[in-house]
Amino acid sequence: MSSVLERLSTAVIAGDAENSVKLVHRALDKGMDPKDILDNGLVPGMDEVGIRFRRGDMFVPEVLMSADTMSAGLDILRPLLAAAGTQLIGTVVLGTVKGDLHDIGKNLVGMMAEGAGFEVIDIGFNVPPERFIDAIKEHQPNIIGMSAMLTTTMRAMGHTIRAIEEAGLRDKVKIIVGGAPVDAEFATRITADGYGSNAPSAVELCKSLASAS
Amino acid sequence: MSDTQPIVVIACEVFKEMLAQAMPPELAAQITYLDYGLHRTPNKIVSSVQRLIDEIETPSLIILGYGLCGSGITGIQSRHHTILVPRADDCITMFLGSRQRYYQEFESEPGTYWLSKGWLESGSHPLKEYEEYRKKYGDKDAMWLLDQQYRHYKRLVLVAHSQDDLDHYRTQAQAVAQFCERWGLRYEEILGSDNFLQQLVAVAQDLDKADGNFVIIAPGGEIRLDQFMF
Repeated sequence: MSSVLERLSTAVIAGDAENSVKLVHRALDKGMDPKDILDNGLVPGMDEVGIRFRRGDMFVPEVLMSADTMSAGLDILRPLLAAAGTQLIGTVVLGTVKGDLHDIGKNLVGMMAEGAGFEVIDIGFNVPPERFIDAIKEHQPNIIGMSAMLTTTMRAMGHTIRAIEEAGLRDKVKIIVGGAPVDAEFATRITADGYGSNAPSAVELCKSLASAS
Repeated sequence: MSDTQPIVVIACEVFKEMLAQAMPPELAAQITYLDYGLHRTPNKIVSSVQRLIDEIETPSLIILGYGLCGSGITGIQSRHHTILVPRADDCITMFLGSRQRYYQEFESEPGTYWLSKGWLESGSHPLKEYEEYRKKYGDKDAMWLLDQQYRHYKRLVLVAHSQDDLDHYRTQAQAVAQFCERWGLRYEEILGSDNFLQQLVAVAQDLDKADGNFVIIAPGGEIRLDQFMF
């Protein structure tokens, strides 16, 4: 790993968006491959953020600033990756369920999934079941990821899965769920295919589900 | 059942006055209130409540004055006791007086940030967070972080079971409301009731009265999310 990529990882960990933008440009100026900058600069930084967060050495505000930093870097790389025809490993549709407007966790999963090589379709927050169904029809994703932050709105995850079943689309997608009050038992109970307890583990889950499908 | 068992109350401090009014003092053998601040790290509710339960020797009826609190009470084990807990998502339900009222309010405006005695006193609200973040991250990053958290909210509501509490917390709530104007939140006050808590006390005296608004955990059982969800 060249030092510019190491410094890029460090900028992501520190949440220094200004510096990360400069470093991405510098790496590109050096003729480095956008995929290399993503995989060996931005992503390892964010992976380390995930590790520190789970260890309790970083808190949500710092994680958000790191995510914003990675996002700033991704914004520069995205068109270049697309132009280079970089192979995507699958498509993920993400949304926060009906009645719930918390999107921090969902956005984090989206950004990290994009970093991992997925096409991410973010359909927003307070998303009713029919919009998840429309998104399945339109984008034919491998995976639907649903988020809820409140016990009040968790029930909407089950309702959404039922609506997807009734629309005859359940076998077309894998469905994963997450959010602060959600647990694995709840995910099983509502017949989701998986549960991510945090953003990095949700992305790992997406990878294993996409490779199995 | 509860005729022969002593009643022990373990509750969040936020219900202190409401419970004191609703529960005749001679009814409870023991009442312990826990700090509101536990709510901010839900795992602490479980360990604090469990420690208190484990200290009770005589098989008792334990009234848990908590809501589900974001899965904050799941995992609590009844041991050789019976636990009675309101089937409420959180304390806002208790202040409003019923689950139906909470769902109505929720449905009419999902983007509601609730302020109550506990939230104001425990310091967990946007204005207090701003002060904490500003010290740690500087003004610009603090505002950015709060924007991420609160930009989709539409309404800030001060809720209390009594007019006295609404009057008492108004000034504080309005200071928060003024700060939240940057996201266009409108300020409202809702007078709830102590009906749900009154029912809890009535059910404690006769468990046969327990309807779908209550969860009862038999001895050897555990509080699980699905008891509240389905």
